[in-house]
Amino acid sequence: MSKTTAPSAVPAKKQNAHSGKKIFRKVEPYIWIAPSVILMAVFILMPIVTVFRMALNKVTKTGALKGFNNFENFINVVKAPAFSLVLKNTLVWTIAVVVLSTILGFMLALVLNNKFRGRKIARAIVVFPWATTLVIQASVWNFIINKDYGTLNTLLMRIGLIDSPVNWTPTPGAYFAWEIACGIFVTIPFVTFCVLSGLQSIDASYYEAATVDGANYWQKLFRITLPLVRSSLTVSTVLNIIYVFNSFPIIWTMTKGDPANHTDTLVTYLYKLGFYNGRQGEAAAVSVIGFLILLVCASVYMIYTLRKGDDY
Amino acid sequence: MAAPSATVAKKPVSVKKAVLRVLLYFVVLDVCVITLYPYFAMLCTALKNRVEIFSGNTILPVTALWSNFIDIWSRAPIAQYMLNSVLIASGSTLIAMLCGIPAAYALARMKFKGQTAFLGFVIISQMFAPVVLLVGIYQVMQPMHLTDSLLGLVLINASFNQAFTIWLLRGTFMGISAEMEQAATIDGCNRVQAMLRVLLPVAAPGIVTTLIFIFINAWNEYTVALCLISTDTLKPMTVGINTFNGYNMIEWQYLFAASIFAIIPVVILFMCIEKNLVSGLASGGVKG
Amino acid sequence: MKKKILALLLALAMALSLMACTGGTPDPTKAPDPSKDPGTEDTQKPDTPSGDKIDINVIAAEYGQNTKKWWADFQDEFNKTYENINLVVEVVSWNDIYTVVNTRIIGKDAPDILNIDVFADYQADDLLLPAKDYVSEETYAKFYEAFLDQSVVDGTVWAIPDLASARAMYYNKDILDQAGVDVPTTWEELTAACKAIKEKCPDVYPWGIDMTTDEGQAAFAYYIWNNGSDFTDADGNWILNDPKNVEAVEYAVGLVKDGYTNTDPANETRYNLQDLFGAGKLAMMIGPNSIPTYIADNYAKANTPKEEQINYAFAAIPTNGSNPSVSAGVMDRFMCFDNGHSAEKLEAIKTFFDFFYEDNRYSDWVLMEGFLPATSAGGEIVAASDPAMAPWVDIVGSCKFYPTAKAEWADVKQGVINAQHQALLGSNVQEVLDSLQAQIAG
Repeated sequence: MSKTTAPSAVPAKKQNAHSGKKIFRKVEPYIWIAPSVILMAVFILMPIVTVFRMALNKVTKTGALKGFNNFENFINVVKAPAFSLVLKNTLVWTIAVVVLSTILGFMLALVLNNKFRGRKIARAIVVFPWATTLVIQASVWNFIINKDYGTLNTLLMRIGLIDSPVNWTPTPGAYFAWEIACGIFVTIPFVTFCVLSGLQSIDASYYEAATVDGANYWQKLFRITLPLVRSSLTVSTVLNIIYVFNSFPIIWTMTKGDPANHTDTLVTYLYKLGFYNGRQGEAAAVSVIGFLILLVCASVYMIYTLRKGDDY
Repeated sequence: MAAPSATVAKKPVSVKKAVLRVLLYFVVLDVCVITLYPYFAMLCTALKNRVEIFSGNTILPVTALWSNFIDIWSRAPIAQYMLNSVLIASGSTLIAMLCGIPAAYALARMKFKGQTAFLGFVIISQMFAPVVLLVGIYQVMQPMHLTDSLLGLVLINASFNQAFTIWLLRGTFMGISAEMEQAATIDGCNRVQAMLRVLLPVAAPGIVTTLIFIFINAWNEYTVALCLISTDTLKPMTVGINTFNGYNMIEWQYLFAASIFAIIPVVILFMCIEKNLVSGLASGGVKG
Repeated sequence: MKKKILALLLALAMALSLMACTGGTPDPTKAPDPSKDPGTEDTQKPDTPSGDKIDINVIAAEYGQNTKKWWADFQDEFNKTYENINLVVEVVSWNDIYTVVNTRIIGKDAPDILNIDVFADYQADDLLLPAKDYVSEETYAKFYEAFLDQSVVDGTVWAIPDLASARAMYYNKDILDQAGVDVPTTWEELTAACKAIKEKCPDVYPWGIDMTTDEGQAAFAYYIWNNGSDFTDADGNWILNDPKNVEAVEYAVGLVKDGYTNTDPANETRYNLQDLFGAGKLAMMIGPNSIPTYIADNYAKANTPKEEQINYAFAAIPTNGSNPSVSAGVMDRFMCFDNGHSAEKLEAIKTFFDFFYEDNRYSDWVLMEGFLPATSAGGEIVAASDPAMAPWVDIVGSCKFYPTAKAEWADVKQGVINAQHQALLGSNVQEVLDSLQAQIAG
C-alpha cells in the first residue's frame, strides 16, 4: 500500500494497470480468507443446516424427514418436565467451570511465568490433563472417587484420615460437583497456555519502567499485565464458554445425566433424546435452543469486551 | 494459590525473597502433585490385575504386572492406531494453520467489508457440539467418499479448529506493530514474504500455542472419528482403545495402559516446542 | 533459530499429512482385511459389486474381548470359501453402536446386515426386509419358535435371533452361611436375608441393584415379572402403572432405602456389581449366565489362589409370594436392510446366514462369550459340550423377553429407567408411573 507513489501524469496503459491493482487491493482480503471460509462452509455450515432442517421437520425414528411440523419439536422439548432442570444444570455447569478455570488458570499462568528451576517440567506436567482424552480422564475420576474400590478412599484410609470408606457422591448434587471439578481440571491448561502466550509477548521494559516509578506488584498486575493479556483472555473465555457449554464426554462418562436428569446438561440430554429415544427432531430442536442461548451470551460478551479491547 | 504466587515478585529483601522462593516451589509442587494424581492412579491400575483392582485394598500393585503394557500391543493394533492419530493430528494442524494464518492476517492487517461478519461466522461455527453435527457431517462426507478415510478426519478437525486459530492469531498479529512489515515491503518484499519473514517469527508464541491447541484437540477427538471410520486399521487411538470397553467387561488395566501410551506423543511434542513458548519474547515489536 | 524449528515442524507436519492422504488405504501388510483388494487405491466401498464379487457389509455388536477376533476369522474363512463374495464385518462396541448405526442410516449408508438388539424402529420406517427373504428355509427352521415370535410385527418376522442370555440370581454361599440364612425364594425371605447379612457382615452389600441408563429396564422387568405382572396386558396394551408394577418398584426402591443394596443404583452398572460380587463384597445379585465365565476368567488372569476365590451358585429370581419365578431373557438379532439388493445379492446373504448358523460354527459363536444359543441344534451341542450351560439352555427356552417389537419400546425403556430414578430420589412411585403411562399410552 505504502508503495503506491502515483505520478501525476500517468500514461493510459499504466492507469489501467493502476485500476487493476486497485481492484486487486479490494479483492485481496477475500483471497486471504477464502481457504478458511471454504473449509468451514463445507464441513461445519452444511451440517448446521442439516440440524436446522431436522429441528423444523417431523423426523422418524431413523431420521427420515416428513415435512415441516409447525415447531412441534420445539414445543415438545420446552413442555417436557425435565427441560427446565436441564437448562439450569447447563448454566450452573458452564458458569462454574468457566469462571473457576479462568481464575485458576490465570493464576497458574502467572506462577509459571516466573523463572525457576524445573519450570520446563512443571509446564509439561500442566499439559497432562489436556493431553488425555476426556473419556479416559472422566473414567479415571470415577475410578478415584468410587466408594467401594476408589483410590481416594484407599489413600485416605492408609494415611489414617478416615476409618471407613466415604461415599463421595451421596446426592446427585455432589456427583455434579465432582463433574464440575473434573471439568475445571481439564480446562485449566487451556486457559493457562492462552494467558502464557499473552504474557510472553509483553515487553519487559514496561515492568522496568513501572518499577522505576515505584509501582508495586498489584499495580503492575492490574495496570500492565491484565490490559495486555486481555485480548488472549477474551479469546480463551469466549471459546471456553462455547466448549464447556457443549461439553459432552465428562458428564456422559461419569453419570450419563442420571439420576432422572439431575446431572444432565443440554448436550447429554439431547444425545439421549436422539440416540436412545430415537427423537432426532427434538434432539435437533434442543441443540438449536442451545445455539440461541450461546449466540446471545457470546455476542453480548464480545461486543462488550472487544469494543474496549481493540482500542487500546 | 493466589497469594504466594502474587507476592513472588515483590521488592528484593533477601530473607523475604528466599521465603517467597520457597512458597513458589511449594505452589508449583502442589499443582504438580494434584495434576499427576489421576495419572498415578491410572498407572497403578494399569499395573494391577482385575481382582486386585476391585478389592480396593492396595494403592500400589502387589506385584506390578508390566505385562499389561505389553499385552495391549498384541490385543489390539495399538501401533497402527497411534500412527493414525499422529497422522490425523499433524495433518489437521497443518491444514488448520495453512487456512487460518492467512485469514487471521487479513483480519489483523487489512480493512474490508464483512470483516465483523466473518469474525461472527467463525464463532458461530463453534456453537454446535460435534455430537449434534454428526448426522450432517456424515451426509456431507459420504458423497465425497471421505467417510472412511483419514483425510476426512483431517479436514473435519482442521475446520473445527479454525475458530481458535483465527481468533488467537488475529489477537497476536494485532498486538505486533505493522511498522517492520511496512519496512520490509519498502525493501521489496511482497505481502506474503513480509508476513512469512517478519511477522511470523515475532508471533512465534501465539503460533506455538495454536499449534499445540489444534494438535491436542485433533488428538483427542472421539465422536466424529467413531462414526466416520469403519475400517479397524484406520481408527485413531481414542476410538481404537474402546476395544477394551466391552459388553461383558471393561478391562480397566488395558484401557489405562493404552491411555498412558496415548499421552506420550503429545507430551513429547510439547517439550520440543515449549522452548518457543518461553523464548518467544517478542523482539521489541510490541505495539505501544 | 525459532524459524528453523518452526519450519522443521511444518515440514514434518506436511510430510505426515501427505502420508495421511495417501495413507487412506490401509497398509496392506498390516490390514487384517484380505478382502480389500490392495491394488485399488480408493478407500470407498463401492455400492455396486466390484467386478464379479458381491459385496456384503455387516455391522456387528462387540460382545466381549473375543468378538472382534471371532469375526475376523469368520470373515477370512467365508471369503476363502466363497470367492465370488466379498464380506466385510465391522465390529462396534455396545457403547457406540446406536450412534454409529443411526448416523449411517440417516446418512443413507445403512449396512446390509446389522447385528444389534432392537429392530422395531427400523421396521417402522420400512427399512428392513422380511426374514424369509434373506434366510434359507433350512436355516429358518433351526430357530426356537418363541425367539422368532419376538421379532414379529404385523404377522411378519423381520429379524432373526443371533444369541440370547438369561438371568438368574447369583449368591455368595459363604456369606449366606455366615449370616445363617437359606437361599431366598420369595421377596419376604429376601428382605429377611438382607437384614441378617447386614447385621452379621456389615462390610458386605446384601443385594445388588442396577437401575442405570445402561440397563435399568432390566431391574424394572425383574421385579414386575416376579410380581405376576408385565409391561403390557394380554392384548398388548401398555400397563406401566398397574398396581402390581407400582408395588414391585416400591419393593425394589425400599431395599435401597433400607440400606440393603449397593450405594448408588442409579449410577452403578451391572459391571460394577459383577466386580463387587467377584471381590466378595456383594452377597447376592441378579445377573446373566455369563457371570461364571467372567469370574473364572478374572481369577485365571490374576492367578488367584483357590482359597481366596468366592464360593457361589445361582438360583431362581425371588418372587412375591406364590407368583412363579420368571427369568428375564435378553435376545439380540440379525436384520437385513432393504438397500435395493439384487436377487444375486440376496442369495449371497442367504449363503452368509447358512454359513453362520452351521451348527458347529454357531455353537462356537455362542460359547465364545458365554451366551446361549437361539437354535435347538445349537442348544444341544452347547449343552453337551459344557455341562454348566445345560440348565441355562433349559431356562432360556422359557424366559420372558422385553416387548421390543412394540414401536414405543425405546420410550418405555427410557421412561421406566427415569421413573425408577425419580423413585430413588424420593418421588411417589404411583405418581411417576401414572405420568409415564399417560405419556406413553397418550
